[in-house]
Amino acid sequence: MTALAKRWTCVEPGCEYELVAPDVASAIEGAQRHIAEAHSSFELEEMIEDVLEDVQSASGDEASGPARSPQALG
Amino acid sequence: MTATDYSQLDPNVVRKFHFTREMVEGPVYRKYEKAIRKVWSVEDLDFTQDAKDWNRIDDEQRRGLLGVTVRFLAGEQNVTDELVPMLVASHALNRFDWIVYLSTFLMEEAKHAEFFMRWHDRVVGVLEPEEVAQHFLVRGKTIDPSGRFEVRDVLHEALPYYGERLLDATMGSTEAEIERAFVAFSAAYNAFVEGVLTMPSYEIVLDTTDRWNAFPTLRQGFKLILMDEGRHITFGTYACKLLIEKDASYEEEIHRVFDAYRGNLVGLVEYQKAVPGLDLDKYQTMKVRHYRNRCREMGITPDETLIEQILDPSIDFVVGVEAG
Repeated sequence: MTALAKRWTCVEPGCEYELVAPDVASAIEGAQRHIAEAHSSFELEEMIEDVLEDVQSASGDEASGPARSPQALG
Repeated sequence: MTATDYSQLDPNVVRKFHFTREMVEGPVYRKYEKAIRKVWSVEDLDFTQDAKDWNRIDDEQRRGLLGVTVRFLAGEQNVTDELVPMLVASHALNRFDWIVYLSTFLMEEAKHAEFFMRWHDRVVGVLEPEEVAQHFLVRGKTIDPSGRFEVRDVLHEALPYYGERLLDATMGSTEAEIERAFVAFSAAYNAFVEGVLTMPSYEIVLDTTDRWNAFPTLRQGFKLILMDEGRHITFGTYACKLLIEKDASYEEEIHRVFDAYRGNLVGLVEYQKAVPGLDLDKYQTMKVRHYRNRCREMGITPDETLIEQILDPSIDFVVGVEAG
């Protein structure tokens, strides 16, 4: 069975950052880090969690494995 | 294994029970569980250092900070006072999971009001309505020089209006009418006020306490409150999403609410400009991010004209002159 990864995209004006993480916790951590570092701001975890999209993981099993650093795509 | 036969059960007895496995595994019930796990108490906070910091800042800093905190003191009391229609409507819509979650929502809003009441009492020395009211920046003194936008009092005008409409709908209207009124109320309360309008104000206070290296308990309180607000906002936007999936025409209710109070979003209002020395452009940009996020959570299309107006530097309200 192919595991699903989680994708989050930043919607700050002018920002096209997108990340894919293996699970919800890593996606929240990565999104919060991006908002703090790139926009000197904050994003609450529910607001990230509620808009995560399921995507096919680049290497299926990784998405269900241990947390790893989110992969920045843009 | 043979399936249990429930056909002999009295439906009137079955109806006395509301929990289902699907409900307790669902997103709203999980918000309730998280709220219970994350309960905090104002009594555990120590205001001593904040009181010392208040005594060392100058009058301009005091006016600026109080302009924001007094708004929160009024606002948190008001959102506590105006939440009941949502509970009544959840009952009318047979959403027991919403009622269970809203029990924590109401308690948290009361606690947020308590936090600001205690902070103003112990740090500034004001508590009675007349003592705090003198620091409330008056909305009539904030105008748009172009005359295109009107700055209204969303908290004290829109919430009672949409709340009354929702209560009226629960008294004998159809399910669809209750749902439509629920979406409008939630759009005003959760999406507009909590989810977009107030977000820059939280950040303004956090940035201020950081820049001044002062008021650690005010900062701590804001972070605790934000933790709760994340659940409140996403409860409302999730409920809207569910209802819009049922009837797509409910989306127009959300745009109607945002359009009615557009003036409050396109510029920064008086209390958001009260603290000297902050980068105000940052707060307009983040407001767009929060608006887009709320639309994304609700599964609706953002109004691009609103986004353009929020980012338009030529739209800037004048504070401190009499309107008209």
